[in-house]
Amino acid sequence: MLTLLLATVDTAHAAEAGPLEGLKQTFTHFGVEPKYLVMQVVSFLILFGVLYKFGIKPTISTMEERNKKIGDGLRHAEEMQAKLAATATETAALIKAAQLDAQKLVDEARKSAKEFADKQNAEATARAADTLAKAQQAIELEHKKMLNEARGEIARLVVKTTEQVLAKKLTDADRAAYNEAATKELVS
Amino acid sequence: MRADKKTKLLAKQLFKLSLVNGAVSPEQVTGVLGYIEKHAPRQSLALLQLYHRAIATELAKASAVVEHAGPVSDAALQSIAAAMTKKYSRPVTASAKANPKLLAGLRVRVGSDVYESTVAGQLATLSL
Repeated sequence: MLTLLLATVDTAHAAEAGPLEGLKQTFTHFGVEPKYLVMQVVSFLILFGVLYKFGIKPTISTMEERNKKIGDGLRHAEEMQAKLAATATETAALIKAAQLDAQKLVDEARKSAKEFADKQNAEATARAADTLAKAQQAIELEHKKMLNEARGEIARLVVKTTEQVLAKKLTDADRAAYNEAATKELVS
Repeated sequence: MRADKKTKLLAKQLFKLSLVNGAVSPEQVTGVLGYIEKHAPRQSLALLQLYHRAIATELAKASAVVEHAGPVSDAALQSIAAAMTKKYSRPVTASAKANPKLLAGLRVRVGSDVYESTVAGQLATLSL
């Protein structure tokens, strides 16, 4: 087939003799044979086609695929970064809210603890005052009881002493006079 | 032995039979005792105890025991008897009983009632 092609080229060159003659002579002058040149071009084109089909095209396809993957990866990375930033912002907001809630809880706990302590103090003070008042009342009652007992004992001793004195000192005349007065009192 | 209702009622009726003009009559009491001895009613011992208690209480109401420390004149006793007779609207006799613990004064006991005007009583009042 290559031979047929070269023969066709020679035929064409022979038919086109004229303006191309100078170019042909130049090629001849430099040792360039047109049929070889054509063959070279055809060979190159065949080689180029084969290389393009089995080398360049798959390579380009692979490169495009890789570029696509890299682009996807970059976009994914950017999305992830954006998500990360959003997540960081959201996390910061959540942490801030949690801190606020925690602070609120701590404040409420402190307030409750203070109220409880105040209440306990008030109750303890009231109990102490009540105990003190009861103790004072008990002391006063005990004091009055002791005074009454002492007064009763003194009165008993005085009466007993008086009885003994009167038993010795009263004469029959005194008793008779008292009996007369008692008779009048009982009769009236 | 504890007396039942019928025994108490019978003792009360016998006691009423023993009174003459509001005073215990020895003759009536003798008759009542003879009746009990003759008929021997049920629970006669409890009946006799109730009857005895009623008669003793009534006799005590008719007697004023005058406890005294020191001399007491008969006139005083008579005036006390007259006053009690008037007070209880029945004859009350007064009997003297010495009690040196009274120191001076009189304590009159009629039944379960006590009237007192004594030095010991006044001193006891002071010691309360």
